[in-house]
Amino acid sequence: MKTLVNISWRNIWRHPARSSVLIAAIVAGLWAGVVTVGLVNGLMLQRIDYLIESEVTHAQLHHPEFLAEGYSWLSIPDHDEIKNWLENDGRVKAFSFRTITDGMLQSPVKTSGVRIRGVDSESERRTTTFHENIVEGSYLDDDTPSAVIMGKTLADDHNMEIGNRIVLTFEDTNNELVSGSFNIVGIFQSASTTYDERNVFVRSNDLIRQLSDSPIYHEAGIMLENEELASAVVSELNSSFSGIEAQTWRQLSPELSMLVELGGVMVILITLIIMIALAFGILNTMLMALFERMRELGMLISIGMSRLRVFTMIMTEAVILTITGAAAGMLLAWITIRHFSTSGVNLEMFAEGAAQLGWDYIIYPVLTPMEFVAILAVVVVITLVASAYPAMKGVRINPLEASKSA
Amino acid sequence: MSIIKTENLSKVYNPDTVPVHALNNVNISFEEGEFTAVRGPSGSGKTTLLNMIGGLDKPTEGSVTIDGVDISKLKDSKRIDFRLHNIGFVFQHYNLIPVFTARENVSFIMLLQKRGKKEIRERADALLDKVGLSKKKDSRPVQMSGGEQQRVAVARALASEPKFILADEPTANLDTESAMNLLDIMNRMNKEQNVTFIFSTHDQRVIDRARRVITMVDGAIHKDEEQHVAEQA
Ligand SMILES: Nc1ncnc2c1ncn2[C@@H]1O[C@H](COP(=O)(O)OP(=O)(O)OP(=O)(O)O)[C@@H](O)[C@H]1O
Ligand SMILES: [Mg+2]
Repeated sequence: MKTLVNISWRNIWRHPARSSVLIAAIVAGLWAGVVTVGLVNGLMLQRIDYLIESEVTHAQLHHPEFLAEGYSWLSIPDHDEIKNWLENDGRVKAFSFRTITDGMLQSPVKTSGVRIRGVDSESERRTTTFHENIVEGSYLDDDTPSAVIMGKTLADDHNMEIGNRIVLTFEDTNNELVSGSFNIVGIFQSASTTYDERNVFVRSNDLIRQLSDSPIYHEAGIMLENEELASAVVSELNSSFSGIEAQTWRQLSPELSMLVELGGVMVILITLIIMIALAFGILNTMLMALFERMRELGMLISIGMSRLRVFTMIMTEAVILTITGAAAGMLLAWITIRHFSTSGVNLEMFAEGAAQLGWDYIIYPVLTPMEFVAILAVVVVITLVASAYPAMKGVRINPLEASKSA
Repeated sequence: MSIIKTENLSKVYNPDTVPVHALNNVNISFEEGEFTAVRGPSGSGKTTLLNMIGGLDKPTEGSVTIDGVDISKLKDSKRIDFRLHNIGFVFQHYNLIPVFTARENVSFIMLLQKRGKKEIRERADALLDKVGLSKKKDSRPVQMSGGEQQRVAVARALASEPKFILADEPTANLDTESAMNLLDIMNRMNKEQNVTFIFSTHDQRVIDRARRVITMVDGAIHKDEEQHVAEQA
């Protein structure tokens, strides 16, 4: 075996240029592939984390019809008991009750339809990171009466600045139109401009006062100690309380859970596409190496080298050739991913539209050891498959090739 | 007892399209220690005969028996193994492994035979000394002349300690001096170690060195004669 590896290694360097080109292609291909996988992963995970942490939370509960209908009278019954339950469950890290109604925002410039979200700034800060989206002014925690924060796009649209006033008009629970004037204390910019155009935040107490006679809530966002607890907590909530529906983030945002699955498929797909392209390179190089060595292989079989050994020799050559490139490519990719996993890759110049769709343009690539091993496995399998064909051809060589001229 | 014996050996190429009767009912035997030339016009079947005796190709009819084993009946893999341990080959085009040095080329066949490391090294060195390549042991084929390469090929054939060595036109690519030098070496091995050589050739000076000369015509043995060879100085 040592001799076979030796002979294979030297055969590879018989055509240094040809082998180098193939190895370089494998290095470049795998590097690009694995880094792309890392970026895709990073992008997905960031998107998921961001949406969970700033908006969606691990689980939410609503009146079963609220999400579809949106009427403010579809509120959460027995919210005090639910609060109590959530406070006493060790798996729950934080939660926040929100009062929500749809209405009109009116400025001297124009009128827009918005969703008005009444939040308790203290519990909301513990539950989500939405306050980090404030780009001007402050969140809802100072004591300015009737404070409102609005998205940057919406504010620009209405020519509004911090300190200006706007009027919010909506139906109360008795279907009476009510309106109130609110002071802009902050401007936010989330990852999605669409979200920024359609949502404004006020304190829940300010909203409840105009909406109903007693405290009402339409949504509770729940953060858990970790994401995996979501389905268990959700099903317990659903069986413990009637008239509500709790849902995990996967149920709330099918877009997100699809992303997770897509991520996995992408990893395999990217690796496969790159490896299949490389497989043709390996095949081509090995067939060339084979055809120009027919006489030599004929000689080896003539003097008594078994066909199994010839097969092994050719396979070894292909495998060494590929694995040299693959190892280098994957190592480079791993170093690249590690390097950028803390500093991030800034795709700002390519990502003009990304912010509008709620995507980050600084990506922190991620590659789990499992994925690394999976990619390695794909590489090894494809290499073996691509080398098997030339090796099979080599095995069938007639010993009489040894005495053919030219 | 003969080490090689053919019985009604026939070979037809392309039996289904344009049949070529390369060998017709050849009955011949070879003894241990022979130094034999096979001659004959081009296309007379010299190469075909050597390929049959060497187990590189299967006869259409008849048999080839080596040391009591009918090699035409062996499976391909068994035949390869049989060649490894019983038959040495020297080719017209030398056919060394280009990425290996002279020493590695000679060692390789012994590695295939699974001999011990030390034995391989010693034998390879001794054989290269014997064929006059003491200074070229670490040279690769491209760094050697045709004559030198062919001497490595002879050393390689000797290394496996075969029952006989077949050489199809071993001097065809060599100049006269190299050819005679190669013949000297083969002859010495034959004399000193009783190694059996059977070689085909067109070259009268090579034929003159053989003790037995077989002449082939149209796939049959036309003449088979002993000849006295003057001792070389
Ligand atoms: N693979 C083959 N397919 C078809 N015909 C072949 C094949 N090999 C040899 N022949 C034919 O068989 C006959 C004998 O060929 P062979 O090569 O044995 O002759 P030779 O005596 O070695 O000739 P030369 O002196 O030219 O080497 C020739 O007519 C040749 O054309
Ligand atoms: Mg011939």
